[in-house]
Amino acid sequence: MSTDVQTEIGDTRGIVDRIRASPFLSELLRNRLALFGLAIILLMVVIAVYSRLFMDVGAITQSNLGSAPSMQGPCGENALSAIPGSASGCTYPFGTDLQARSIFDRVMYGSWLALKFGTAIVGMSTLLGVGLGIVAAYYGGAVDNTIMRVMDVLLAFPPLLLALALVAIFGTGLWKAVIALTLVYTPRFARVVRGAALKVIEDEYIDATIALGARDRRILVRHILPNSLAPITVQSTLNFGLAIIDLAALSFLGFGAQAGTPSWGLMLSNGVTQGLLSGEWWWSFFPGLFLATTVLGFNLLGDGMRDALDPRMREAVD
Amino acid sequence: MISKRFIAKRLILLVPVVVGVASFVFAILHLSPGDPAIVIAGERASQEFIERIRTELGLNDPIWVQYGRFLFEAAQLDFGNSYVIRQGTPVREVLRTHFPVTLELALLGQFAGILFGIPFGLLSAIKQDSIVDHLTRVGALTGISVPIFWSGPLVILLFAQVLGVLPTSGRIAVEYSVPTVTGMVTVDSLLVRNWDAFVSAVRHLLLPSLTIGIYSMALISRMMRSSMLEVIRQDYMRTARAKGQGPKITIMKHGFRNALIPVVTIIGIQFGTLLGGAVLTETIFGITGLGRLLVDAIEVGDYPIVQGTVLLFAFLFTLVNLGVDLTYSYLDPRIEQ
Repeated sequence: MSTDVQTEIGDTRGIVDRIRASPFLSELLRNRLALFGLAIILLMVVIAVYSRLFMDVGAITQSNLGSAPSMQGPCGENALSAIPGSASGCTYPFGTDLQARSIFDRVMYGSWLALKFGTAIVGMSTLLGVGLGIVAAYYGGAVDNTIMRVMDVLLAFPPLLLALALVAIFGTGLWKAVIALTLVYTPRFARVVRGAALKVIEDEYIDATIALGARDRRILVRHILPNSLAPITVQSTLNFGLAIIDLAALSFLGFGAQAGTPSWGLMLSNGVTQGLLSGEWWWSFFPGLFLATTVLGFNLLGDGMRDALDPRMREAVD
Repeated sequence: MISKRFIAKRLILLVPVVVGVASFVFAILHLSPGDPAIVIAGERASQEFIERIRTELGLNDPIWVQYGRFLFEAAQLDFGNSYVIRQGTPVREVLRTHFPVTLELALLGQFAGILFGIPFGLLSAIKQDSIVDHLTRVGALTGISVPIFWSGPLVILLFAQVLGVLPTSGRIAVEYSVPTVTGMVTVDSLLVRNWDAFVSAVRHLLLPSLTIGIYSMALISRMMRSSMLEVIRQDYMRTARAKGQGPKITIMKHGFRNALIPVVTIIGIQFGTLLGGAVLTETIFGITGLGRLLVDAIEVGDYPIVQGTVLLFAFLFTLVNLGVDLTYSYLDPRIEQ
């Protein structure tokens, strides 16, 4: 009887009350910097989805030479090849590149690519890392040793250099770069999850579950996984920014996005090699600005989440 | 003091990692899609010629024979000869000329990171919630969010294009010729006491090492701040103050050393990012170091160079982390247990 009443009260509680009841969420929502980071991320998501739905990919990928001014400054004149009588006012707020493509449009669409491939890298490495980490922690012994020694080998390489070595094996392309970076990020998740899971396993309720006769899989999925989830979420958020940077770095070095693709890294590379010293700063400036702002958003949110999660940190900050 | 047993234990733990790393590097050549013999001979070479090269390289031997040979030769730092970039030259020679360039850049970048990161983090913690603290925190957060391949071009734009004060590519002005002793231009010019050349080398290195050091600076100052904030609240700090010790001495003598432990760890971890940053920095500033060499080698399929460079980078990173572990146990002897 009393439990029925409790569930009823639980259901009628508004979402606001539930957030207040969770120390993690209420702490996070009080952190203005973290909220600012979240706002940046949401803005980027809106831009990305809008670009994906309403923009013509062909128009921003192909060359527009002959129909638009090439290398025109933001909202400005001094174009390399101006088309007389056209493009007055601020048709190109971020200017155009050598192929006369609007950098504004390309940068907008680039946010879709960054978030899509960033999600792929972090999503896949989280799944792989969580699986490996939990299995290693639960079974221990030889299983633990085998998994973690392989992770150690991967961690022995500087991250970007491991990605480059893998690119040498897989070849060039955005999806190949994504797979390479997934392998680079997996060991970090495996380590964090293993650590978290080891702590959970020591808790008495796991002993209780075992005593009740639960099978391994049930213990792993129903008890250890949910209780190790918090550090994983923080790790994913903090690594999201790094993943976007590393993917852009591979494109910057010529091993990711193929020519014409509106990826921030590739645009930066073209802008730096072909436009920086001749004074066309806008070509590389705006892709970099969007990239850095997005990464800042994830770092702000990730920082806030870590502080909200770790009560010791909270004390130190207060 | 660090006990010999601790060092020995650390070294033994390294053995499986080193073997694993070497095996992965061996696999690079054999999992890659291109045929090394065709890379060397060219697409139009005759079948017999390609077959002859395959035999010369030992590519027709059983895979485990090749693996054993690779491990044996790699242990002697022999990675064979370059296929394309410096065709026929031993990889070891190519690495020897490129390595000091990257080492010089990485060391200066790391130096800049520590030089600015630690004082700023310390100041930020001591003057918590002051203007200095807020500025440092915002600066550090920006520092870890801005990719090197954006900050580099911005630095070039500001210092070279707008202000016109510093060179943006190369390692030393062409009019100076400095004999190669260490391969690091700053050291070499000092060795022959050519001050003008030294100044030129430093001016060339300033922007690249600033670019590569921004991330370290940011990360170190963040860690220094949070670590110091934690230490300040410890009981022994209050005890030190209670026995009449001044605030400055308490912070430096009791606080700083203890707060330094996590900072040392972060220096080790971010050194890997720093080496990755060297690849990008060398590309942006036109410096012919190991990083640029690796990128060029991947592009043309020069696998022995790829293998040698990757192994050298991993070795360097592992060495730094070993150093960090040992420093760590020196700073906090309890860790050995």
